[in-house]
Amino acid sequence: QVSELVQFLLVKDQKKIPIKRADMLKNVIREYKDAYSEIVNRAGRTLQEVFGLQLVEIDTKRHTYILINNLPRAEGNYLCRNKEKEKMGLLLVILSFIFMKGNSVKDSALWEFLNLLRVYPGKPHRVFGDVRKLVTEEFVRQKYLEITPIPLTDPPEFKYQWGPRAEKETSKKDVLNFVAKVRPFWGHLWV
Amino acid sequence: ENREAMLNSKSNRLTEALEEANKLFDGVCRAREAALDAQFLVIASNIGKEKANELHSEMSAFDSTAFAEDLLTFMGINRTEVEETDDSEDVPGGFLPSDAWQTMGEEAPKYFRRAPTFHYMMGSFKSEPPVPKQRIERQKKASRGKAERAMPAQLKKMEESHQEATEKEVERILRILQTHFENDPNTPISFFDFVIDPNSFAHTVENMFHVSFLIRDGLAKIKLDEDELPIIEPTKPSGRGEEESRAGARNQVVISLDQKEWK
Repeated sequence: QVSELVQFLLVKDQKKIPIKRADMLKNVIREYKDAYSEIVNRAGRTLQEVFGLQLVEIDTKRHTYILINNLPRAEGNYLCRNKEKEKMGLLLVILSFIFMKGNSVKDSALWEFLNLLRVYPGKPHRVFGDVRKLVTEEFVRQKYLEITPIPLTDPPEFKYQWGPRAEKETSKKDVLNFVAKVRPFWGHLWV
Repeated sequence: ENREAMLNSKSNRLTEALEEANKLFDGVCRAREAALDAQFLVIASNIGKEKANELHSEMSAFDSTAFAEDLLTFMGINRTEVEETDDSEDVPGGFLPSDAWQTMGEEAPKYFRRAPTFHYMMGSFKSEPPVPKQRIERQKKASRGKAERAMPAQLKKMEESHQEATEKEVERILRILQTHFENDPNTPISFFDFVIDPNSFAHTVENMFHVSFLIRDGLAKIKLDEDELPIIEPTKPSGRGEEESRAGARNQVVISLDQKEWK
């Protein structure tokens, strides 16, 4: 059962959408419901020992899980797919912006910033296509970003923050390193 | 309404609005009016929070525009040429190369601990055989499709049990030896009788291979009998005393057997 669950998790993780406990129970564990937590624990151990991946519960109420990479970062290219890497580039830029602006930004501020990078919500982008969809749907579904409406705004406005996957896969310190790398002499201006 | 005006850090309109609301509240005697007042307070506090944010960001000296410029530089923008295309964008001049985001893409994964996406090496299970023209062809293709589907599963299982297969064989042979001995405790089996498979040379070699494991682990021993022919018997499972296992003489024997002899 454990190896079935491990395979299930690995395949489900392809789209980077969090895995729900209900799905795990329905598709893999089925009749072994009572042993659920034991099976999940063992699967987690296998993932860690064999693949170096960590199974993390990001929502303890709704029991959703993601897989993150627990190995120290290796030098060199390991993600060969360019499309994925470019999206991660955009994501990193967005996360840095949100962080530098105090961990929460208004949508208008974010898009204003992205416009400076020649990325427009209304205009299909040469690399990213429908950027608005990518940012507001894909990144949110993958839990990299969290968008919450600001109450009583008309027309409705939203605020963007880091999502739980972003919190686990990277850190404020790492992102700050990125900002400092892009602008070498900013690092010392504030903690 | 007038949100922008209120947000202007120089204006006191927010304070004025709050004071006016305070005054109005004294005249309130209906629940609905109180609800409106509450709504107003929520909006006012949001605006207040935004104003506070604006203040904060001015002091922290994070300049989004400068950051954007730096990112563009990082992505390899060429500022000497002015982009003269039909998209008239009113952004500062500069030609952003087409691999700009690829450059960013090379840098970005270093900051994420992202699990690599998992893909089967042998292809996915769902390989529908192409719809064939004739019935006969279809049957052939269907059975091939199934074989392909079975293969990834089998191949995986083999990977895992590769190690175990040998061990299982060894165990099986040990059991056969032991069973024979239970039935006939005092007659050791002739080694050759035990390992030779009259029908298959390869199998014979395999048997000898497995027996060698048993000997190595001390689970069986080979002796020479009166006729100087080797016999094999299982060792008694008496306690795993270290002296005992060392006492058993460890000899190395090379047995050479080729196909002619085997016949």
